[in-house]
Amino acid sequence: MALDEDAALLPRLRAGEEAAFRELVRRHHGRLVRLAGVFTGARARAEEAVQDAWVVVVTGLDGYSGEAPLGAWITGIVMNKARNRAARDGRVVSFADLARSEAEGPALEPGRFMPDGHWAERFSAWPSPTPEREAGDRQLLARIGDALETLPPAQRAVVLLRDVEGHEPAAICRALGITEANMRVLLHRARTRLRDVAAALIEPAPAKRSIPATRL
Amino acid sequence: MPTCQEVAEQATEYLEKAMPRRERLGVWAHLRVCPNCRTYLRQFMGTIALTRRAAAAAPPPDDEDRLVAAMKAARTPGAD
Repeated sequence: MALDEDAALLPRLRAGEEAAFRELVRRHHGRLVRLAGVFTGARARAEEAVQDAWVVVVTGLDGYSGEAPLGAWITGIVMNKARNRAARDGRVVSFADLARSEAEGPALEPGRFMPDGHWAERFSAWPSPTPEREAGDRQLLARIGDALETLPPAQRAVVLLRDVEGHEPAAICRALGITEANMRVLLHRARTRLRDVAAALIEPAPAKRSIPATRL
Repeated sequence: MPTCQEVAEQATEYLEKAMPRRERLGVWAHLRVCPNCRTYLRQFMGTIALTRRAAAAAPPPDDEDRLVAAMKAARTPGAD
């Protein structure tokens, strides 16, 4: 996240410059709607909560101390709005209950390992992103975005707060009312699932058949 | 030393540095001798970076112009 670039926008935002508002919205709106959805459920309600939060953000700009990065400050406002919205809708989500049901069993099917605990599959290094692959990367990111939406809610909440927003574990546990052990199990399952999704797109041919030498 | 299965199931605890030192050393030792698990762990870390990019590349607001106008109005002195 380009947090320093956000700081550069601050004077223009405070001056009420429309182009600066647009820029800020384009940078953050998408991730904020995903995050709000953790609390509100349906995307339309998340969208409304975030739009309300944006107005709170611009009216509160003079009170922003600069202590936290602007993006993190906005995230806090959005989470408050989303939680209030969920409470108003009578939507009480117990992440502790969800965590219990979402954390059962191993993250990886035992069948993916040999009886002695060795992997039954071979992994190959993923290519790093290049300009030539940009279109393919965009598709990959879109599919990972879809996979994020289909994660069970507590797993989605944790992966968004930890891996996307970069919050500290203690803060995440406070926000969701779960233990750090819960949080790590949920995070692990989410990451494992997302890696599988990415791997299926990046390495469509499993290394079980013999692969022509030219590929190597 | 832990098995590949144990290492794969502990990947997050390892990366979050939330393991007792003894277990952490076990994972570290396994990774030293197991290239397949090293690759898996690299992919696992790569996934975290991909997730961050994927979450940012989300659809724009339903009605960006209206939203930006509302923000501008809220910011204009004397608007309220």
